Amino acid sequence: MTEVIKVAVLEDAALTVDELACACSVSTEWVIRHVEEGALECRGESESTWRFSSRDLGRARRIRDLERHFDAAPELAALVADMLEELDALRARLRRAGLM
Amino acid sequence: MGAPVAEESGLDFKDYYATLGVGKDATAEDVKKAFRKLARKYHPDVSKEANAEARMKEVNEAYTVLSDPEKRAAYDQLGRGYQPGQDFRPPPDWDAGFEFSGARGAGGEAADFSDFFAELFGRMGAQPGRRAQGARMHMRGEDHHAKVLVELEDVFRGASRQISLRVPKVDAQGRLSLEERTLNVQIPKGLCEGQIMRLAGQGAAGIGGGATGDLLLEVHFKPHPRFRVGGRDLYMTLPIAPWEAAMGAVIAVEPPDGSVLKVRIPAGAQSGQQLRVRGRGIPSQPPGDLLLEVKVVVPPAATPRARELYETMAREFDFDPRAGMKG
Repeated sequence: MTEVIKVAVLEDAALTVDELACACSVSTEWVIRHVEEGALECRGESESTWRFSSRDLGRARRIRDLERHFDAAPELAALVADMLEELDALRARLRRAGLM
Repeated sequence: MGAPVAEESGLDFKDYYATLGVGKDATAEDVKKAFRKLARKYHPDVSKEANAEARMKEVNEAYTVLSDPEKRAAYDQLGRGYQPGQDFRPPPDWDAGFEFSGARGAGGEAADFSDFFAELFGRMGAQPGRRAQGARMHMRGEDHHAKVLVELEDVFRGASRQISLRVPKVDAQGRLSLEERTLNVQIPKGLCEGQIMRLAGQGAAGIGGGATGDLLLEVHFKPHPRFRVGGRDLYMTLPIAPWEAAMGAVIAVEPPDGSVLKVRIPAGAQSGQQLRVRGRGIPSQPPGDLLLEVKVVVPPAATPRARELYETMAREFDFDPRAGMKG
């Protein structure tokens, strides 16, 4: 256990569509559909140049779980993900203010 | 992370029906309903329950088995005569006669499941010739996910840290088991909360000669006694004396990198005021800022001399802190 593993930070090397699909255990079609419907955001113009960040990955996994656990429609899962992100942001503000 | 690995001697038998709170005769619809109720109750983002995350994993595991007719039938056959918590060892070839068609839950997700689950269902989809359906993405090994807690100081200097994970491993017979794994990881300087570190080739092994998956570690900071983190910025409460607030002062502040910063407090500073020290937050690209929240601390009038000083101030100052409240 002497070898030290170097890591890449995802903000630098953002994920491709295939990598995001693999990281979420979903099909590439699932990712493409959710981007086209506006549930997921990404940088880049076309599918081959789309890139996803750490934040996008967290959102994709949340939406996937909501769809799987509750048979939620993609739009509803995206709405819940929006609300959970808002909740995260508000909790972060409370933490910064030392109130949590 | 770092859950204990089962002893060689055996495993505890898990009662998935009890986990979901349904009877053995529950219909598929009953199982689904019970799961959804619990998935809401233990949703890690909103649940107020203790150990919500751990309970959610148990509920997920129970649902993965009971919602799949093949897995449920196999589990029912095996479970006859076992009590929950009883020492359990599956007989050799217990799953003969069952044809498992999917690999879902046997790969990356199994990292979240118990040793009991891995022992029972670990073989599914892992054998050559029993390939999963829709296997385009399964050719490459799955990516594994984990959250890691890092010290705030580590992202200022960069540091080498040991991280323990429980990972599924497929042996030569195609059997899957969970094993403890310790990695020495170089934490890069400038990491921010929520960012993901990718350890290439440290995920699940590929199937049919496919590439090994990656290990994705989501970064969170351990709570720090002095600093709070917001994105790239650091927040710190800076207590100052009333005379420092009134007349201004130069105060030494120690950011997590161990250096000493001299910060000028402007004359007339008030509690709640924020002072921004540019570029002294998390050393990312671009670096964040250090935000100092001024808190004026009033010394107690604990001695006759202190009391005398306060009385002089009360007499000499023409000051009404509530002037704005009148009318």
